[in-house]
Amino acid sequence: MPVVTEISPDGKKLTISIKGRFDFAKHQEFRESYEKNHLSAIVVDLKEATYLDSSALGMLLLLRDHAGGESADIRVVNSSSDVRKILAISNFDKLFDIS
Amino acid sequence: MADKHLDPDVLSALREVMEDEYPKLLDTFLADSEARLNRLHATEDTAQLIEAAHSLKGSSGNLGANRLAELCSQLEHNANSMPSQSIKKLIAEIDDEFAIVRPLYEAERQRSLTES
Amino acid sequence: MNTVQPLELLTILIAEDSAADRMLLASILRRQGHAVLTAANGAEAVDVFRELRPHLVLMDAMMPVMDGFEAARQIKALSGENLVPIIFLTSLSENEALARCLEVGGDDFLAKPYNQVILAAKIKAMDRLRRLQATVLQQRDQIARHHEYLLNEQRVAKAVFDKVAHSGCLNAAPNIRYLQSPYALFNGDLLLAAYTPAGDMHVLLGDFTGHGLPAAVGAMPLAEVFYGMTAKGYGVSETLREMNAKLKRILPVDMFCCAILLCLSFQRRSVEVWNGGMPDGYLHHIADGEREPLAARHLPLGVLSPESFDDRTEVHPMAIGDQVFLLSDGVVDTCNADDQLFGVERLQQVFAANRQPDAVFEEIKQALRDFGGESRDDVSMVEISLLEPAQISPPALMYSDSGQSCPLDWSVSFEFRAATLKRFNPLPYLLQLLLEVHGLRAQSGALYSVLAELYSNALEHGVLGLDSSLKRNASGFARYYQQRSVRLEALEDGYIRVNLQVAPRDEGGCLTIHVEDSGKGFDVVRVMERPLDDVRLSGRGISLIRQLGRNAQWTDNGRSARVEFFWKALA
Repeated sequence: MPVVTEISPDGKKLTISIKGRFDFAKHQEFRESYEKNHLSAIVVDLKEATYLDSSALGMLLLLRDHAGGESADIRVVNSSSDVRKILAISNFDKLFDIS
Repeated sequence: MADKHLDPDVLSALREVMEDEYPKLLDTFLADSEARLNRLHATEDTAQLIEAAHSLKGSSGNLGANRLAELCSQLEHNANSMPSQSIKKLIAEIDDEFAIVRPLYEAERQRSLTES
Repeated sequence: MNTVQPLELLTILIAEDSAADRMLLASILRRQGHAVLTAANGAEAVDVFRELRPHLVLMDAMMPVMDGFEAARQIKALSGENLVPIIFLTSLSENEALARCLEVGGDDFLAKPYNQVILAAKIKAMDRLRRLQATVLQQRDQIARHHEYLLNEQRVAKAVFDKVAHSGCLNAAPNIRYLQSPYALFNGDLLLAAYTPAGDMHVLLGDFTGHGLPAAVGAMPLAEVFYGMTAKGYGVSETLREMNAKLKRILPVDMFCCAILLCLSFQRRSVEVWNGGMPDGYLHHIADGEREPLAARHLPLGVLSPESFDDRTEVHPMAIGDQVFLLSDGVVDTCNADDQLFGVERLQQVFAANRQPDAVFEEIKQALRDFGGESRDDVSMVEISLLEPAQISPPALMYSDSGQSCPLDWSVSFEFRAATLKRFNPLPYLLQLLLEVHGLRAQSGALYSVLAELYSNALEHGVLGLDSSLKRNASGFARYYQQRSVRLEALEDGYIRVNLQVAPRDEGGCLTIHVEDSGKGFDVVRVMERPLDDVRLSGRGISLIRQLGRNAQWTDNGRSARVEFFWKALA
């Protein structure tokens, strides 16, 4: 199940789409999707993500660290209600813009 | 004429594989076959007949004696359903066929010794 | 035994009763480069196999003494896990006979008359299979060995961890009930409990990301901070700041620890809670049966830098008999055979159906069993009840020094001003100082409680001007602590002065504690006239000081408090 990336036409924004389970199996693919880029505006699209676990939270932290830590602009969009719940309990809405 | 009884292609393949052992192979075959023929004559038991026929069929085939193999196959597959008269007749045919191929093998043996 | 050879040279056993056929096959095989063994019947074949263990067997079906089928069966049994291919030599044409060959474990057939090309091809194919099987077995054994090493590493790690993070007061305390697998550590689950010097109880339920050793390795530094700071009398917020800073420093970016930390005070009848990323805890009020969820309002530990870390806690009042219930996500995430989750709803059902508060712990365990979920190592639960202070007996502190050189005649004064009052808790430091006086050690609990009360009165009522009557009921309680936070953040002026005097007296000594604040004071006479009241939520501080210390006095309109402690000479 793939991790799909797309760079916006103006080259300023990177969108990473996760399909299926967002868990440790996607670790390498996820990292490779942003490693070579140094864009600080990133959107993680979870529309087709069915499930999220603590290793996914860790992957988001790595992404944030790569994109500038406190100054990173990362938006997590299209989360299902299940995913939202997990993000809410861990209070990750304090670190990421979640919708 | 000999082709019908003894396949020359098989013989040459055998000769190539066996090299120096070729004569020994022929001798072994002839001795084995004689023993099996004797068993065919000696036994009345159908099961033993079938076994002996099967064995002889196998080695004759390997050694290129196709007609002999064919006759043994017939005996093997039909012994249970044939009357004993027919069985005896078939065994006689096998004897005859062996009597034909035997000298052919011996000649072959001689030829290989001189040609080597 | 067989080794896996790089070239295709094999040792092949020919089991064939016809001497001519045997000779022929042997020559064909030798020409192909293989080593050859022969047998003239099934029994001989089995014997040769047992002794010399060829790689592959060419088996005639019809043989005297023992036929090929029986010999094949026996050879397959002898070869065990290893694959020794058996190719049947047959001029059998009936399907039944061919089926029999397969039944006994034959891997292939070769028809008579023998075709060398076909024979070579079949041998090659069979050998490939044979080597594949050998590789699989080798890898399986390697994996099994590594697994053993890992298990052993875990055992060692757990032994070290158990020494470092002794189980605190989890087992000794009468008011704690808990459930935890011995290997919970390797799922990142951590449960710690310890008494503060004042007799309060700190409890931490944590859940590290990951599994195995990486999950366990963060637990040790965390436990050291927890136990060390709790024993010295540090509060929840300070302990959290240290734990967060430590984990942030030592753990990789993608690792963190969800945690719920609470301080249960038997004397103040309250629980102070901080929940970073853990599932809801529950505060059960016996009086009305209500279960208040203690939800996660913070990020887990180890995520935020020390500057951004939020150590704000929530304080809830408790009555005697009330319980706090904490659980790890293993409970709610337990799956049954149909992949259904136990879920929060089922948990709520157990709560709702519960009639006897004492039984709820067992009822949850039973519900999990009934649900039929697979038992997991990460199901951790803890239930902490508020009991009468008299029922709680913290163990005596152990001291390591010899007691020969001890300061017996000294005094010290501190003035803590606004900027310090905001971020620094001087109590652990002051207590450590006082515990240098051996005669005071036996009273360390009372000492700490009195110091803490004096300081908190001076800070909250004095400097911050909070009205303690707000704490009359539960909602007022919450508002009180909210205001405390706000006012402390905004503090610009004010001070608290602490003066400690230690002097010899008779055969022992006397400690005089003097605390003064810059606040407005209070009506001392009125407060002193109130009877000592155990039930009210507010106003207990003064009673406590009067009960635990000697000669407690308030002067300067309540701004200045003084209390003494005495001790006799040690034997």
